[in-house]
Parts: sequence; structure tokens; C-alpha cells
Amino acid sequence: MFGKKRVAIVGAGVTLFRRNLKETGKELSYEAAKTALEVAGLELRDIKSVVMGSAPDAFDGVHMKGEYLADGAGAYHKPYTRVFVGGGTGVFTPLAGWWHVASGQFDTCLVVCEEKMSSCYPHPQYAFTTIFDPILERPIGMNLIWIFALEMNRYMHKHNIKKEDIALVSVKNKRNALDNPIAQLAANITVEDVLNSEIMAWPVQRLDVSPTSDGAAAVVLASEDVAKEVTDNPVWIDGVGWCIDSTHWTDRDLYYPDYVECAAKMAYKMAGIKNPPKEIDLAEPYDPFDYKELHHMEGLLLCKKGEAPKLTREGVTQRDGDLPTCPSGGLLGCGNPIAAAGLMKVCEIFWQLRGEAGKRQIPGDPRTGVAQAWGDLMQYGSVIVLRR
Amino acid sequence: MSLEKITNPFNARHWIGHMEADYVYTLGVAGERFFKEIKENGKIMGAKCQKCNITYVPPRMYCEKCFEKLKEWVDIGKKGVVHTFTIATIDINGEKLEKPTIYALIKFDGTCGGIIHKIDETDTVYIGMEVEAVLKPSNERKASINDIAYFKPAK
Repeated sequence: MFGKKRVAIVGAGVTLFRRNLKETGKELSYEAAKTALEVAGLELRDIKSVVMGSAPDAFDGVHMKGEYLADGAGAYHKPYTRVFVGGGTGVFTPLAGWWHVASGQFDTCLVVCEEKMSSCYPHPQYAFTTIFDPILERPIGMNLIWIFALEMNRYMHKHNIKKEDIALVSVKNKRNALDNPIAQLAANITVEDVLNSEIMAWPVQRLDVSPTSDGAAAVVLASEDVAKEVTDNPVWIDGVGWCIDSTHWTDRDLYYPDYVECAAKMAYKMAGIKNPPKEIDLAEPYDPFDYKELHHMEGLLLCKKGEAPKLTREGVTQRDGDLPTCPSGGLLGCGNPIAAAGLMKVCEIFWQLRGEAGKRQIPGDPRTGVAQAWGDLMQYGSVIVLRR
Repeated sequence: MSLEKITNPFNARHWIGHMEADYVYTLGVAGERFFKEIKENGKIMGAKCQKCNITYVPPRMYCEKCFEKLKEWVDIGKKGVVHTFTIATIDINGEKLEKPTIYALIKFDGTCGGIIHKIDETDTVYIGMEVEAVLKPSNERKASINDIAYFKPAK
């Protein structure tokens, strides 16, 4: 037994993901939180603690964003914390919620993630330029796309992977998103479309990348006794893991995310999973870039190193394959409001395990799913294992 | 730990960086309506939670205490009361202001919340003082909190 109490997700909600939404960050947070509470059949007064996840303050353009978003997250007069581990925030936030309930301190926890990237104008890339070391890297004029290009190139080189195989991820996820009502960039595209799209920083091309977005997501966590009272379909948080690699991203080889493996092993140990590909029915690996889904499948030990492109080519990761990945449409199809995008993945596993994913529902009565996010400067892994 | 005392960072070897970021903030669902009412109708509105019987000023989309969506909007008039105030004499860089500026939290009878704004047309200010909003001429209003030019002593 890990923690004093077993913890379940009993409600989930997401807003639309769009390049520009009229709602303020507070209002987006409210919409997602209110929906999650309604699904759980709970009122705000039933919530004993609140955890908010949101990425750099520089996106919304409000310093102390956690405090700013508190009322929309339902935190008035409640124990409240904002957590932030870069792009890993969306999956890390329910992990922080988990320890609130697993510790026995609170019976319930409302977990909300929000991002309003459109405030940063003309483009949130401006906020990304100051995430680098101010002495060693910023004077070079670093930009976020470049460092992913460096990593993607290293991954391709190490395993001799073709861009065509990586492009299949973008094709799959954007197509999956056609069935997702929140999606921002759902489309039927081809590998050729990806390969012919604008080159941003070789090997990264326009259609390899998820967009920037506004949006929010929320889940309601409950202890076992409360969960069984309010629903017949609790989804259990059976594994949690998180890990950071060296703060010097230049120290790493970049072809493989060790830190994701470390976080996954922690979560699998807790969940008693010994053979991840056999025991996991579906996955939502973090896919802000198409190669990242492959990178993360390998880090999540869902296949051998360098094998993820092959599984993708063989259709294993399609919704009707043996190991569906990103049935939601992922970030490539749904959009990428950073923290909200990660939590959306957790919501998708929740709906899939409850058989409530509608047109996106994968066949075969799935029982175990894993969601993962990745962040900070290409070095943070957060992993959650959910079971029905 | 370096024990050398540096009073001017430019005297240490350094690189000068700049955190460049500009923003466009949407007013939001409640904000759109609130500022439209001020701009077009010259009215300051509040939003009432029927469940909690609380009227929020400025109006919000939802009640943070019970999470109901707020549908009932009410005109709260332009008169309020100084809840607390300060008189600023220097600016953010420490420069002396030409004329001291009064900043106050103004509360409105029977409502929750309030508006932070300047007070003008007076040399005296005190807690409990009744004030009223002075709006800019309608052709100068831009759907901003500065459409209220300032508050002045109420007649």
C-alpha cells in the first residue's frame, strides 16, 4: 500500500482548446472545474483541498498566477497550492492532488490546470526565450523550437529513424482529434503534408509541432470511501511517478528520456506493473512534437529503445491497435495549453476506462492506462497510472 | 561564498539581458459586459449570486463561494464609500510627484468587493467619506477601468 488511502478520480472536465479564447484564465478554470464537479455529482462545499497547475506566469502575463487563478479553481477559503514543473505540470498536478488525499489529510481534492497563452502577444515564444541560462545560452539567441530540433535530430541519428515514420504520429493524432469536440487542429492530413510543411528548424517542420492554445482542464479526486459513495465507476490512481534529470540539459545524450523512465518505474512499481506493454491497455504520452510521442513511448518502457516508430508504422498505436496512444488526438490534434493539455490526457484515460469516450472509445474493455507529461528544459517526467 | 561586496552589479563581469514580452488581455465574459455598460450606458454594474445573496462588484461570471453561474446583473449606482486610502507622494522610481495622488479602495453599499481608484477634486479624504464616480466623456471611453476618470466627494 502506497499512501494511507487509495485515491480515485470521480469527475473530469475540459474546456475548448483554441488559439484565442475570450474567457479570462479565471473563467476558463471555472468552466473546467465546474464541469468536473458536475460529473462527480459534488458541490464546491464538498471539496476539502484544491491544487492548481499552470506553466510560467509569463504566458498569462500575470505574476503570481496561482493566486490570480484561485477563485476560478474553487479555492476560496480552502487549503490551496499552485504547482509548476514546466510542461510536466499537467500530469504532475494530479500527482500533487494524490498526495493531498493519499496522506489521509483530505477526503477530496479539486485539481485544475489552466493556460492562457494568447495573452502573450504576438506569440508566447517570447516567454520561452527567457527559460534558458542567462549567461551561457541566452546570449546565443536561443529559441524553443531549436532545442527540440537538436533533440529530434539526435533521436533520429541514434536509431536511424526516417522523418516519414515520425510524421505518422502527427497524421494519427490529428485524425484522432477529429472525434474530439475540444480539438483545435483536428485534420485529415498525409505524411506528405507533414514533409512538405514549412521547415522551422531542421528537422522540425510546421506540422511536426502542436500549436499554442488557451484552455483549462480539471479532475476531482476522492478517497476510497468517498469515491464509492459518489460513483459506481471510480478510476483509481494506482501509480504515481515524477523525476527530474540534470539541470544541465547539455549533459545528456538527448536521444532517450531517462527521467521519464525513472518516473515510469516509480509509478509501475506502485501499480505492481512488471511488463508495461502487456499490462497497459492505452497510453497518452506527451506529444507537443510528433517525435516526442515516440521518445516518450520508449521512456515509458512501452517498447524497446528505437522501436516506437516501427510500432507506429505497423498500426499498433492506432485506436484499434494493441496499444492505442493519444486516442484523444493529443496535443498535436487538440492543442497545447501547456498545463491543461497534460491534464486533458489524464481526463482522456478517465473517460476511456469508464467507457465514456464516445466516438474516441477504444475497443476491448480497457482496464489500465498511463498518461505522461514532460517539461522544464527537456528534463522533467511526470507519470500517472490509472485503473478501473 | 564570495565576501566581496558589490554595490554596483555593473562592476562585476556581466551580460545584460532583457525579458521582452507584450500582452493582450481579453476582458473575459464578465468583463466584456461590465466595461460595455460603463462605456455605452455610463453604468457601474454588479453581479448577484441568488444562492448566497451576495452582489459582487466588479461583476464576475461565477460565485467563488458556491460556484453558481451569475446571471442577475444590477446597477449599483455611482456612489460609494472610502474604505481605506493612501496619498502617494513619489513615483515608482522614487521621483517626487508634481501633485500628491490619492488612491482609495471604494466600497458600495450592500455589495461584496469594491473598486481601487484615484480620488480627485478634493484636498481632504477620510475613511468613511462618501464619493461618486466621475466618468470620462462618452466619446473618450475605451471599455477600460480608466473610463472612470476618478472618484470625487459625493454631493
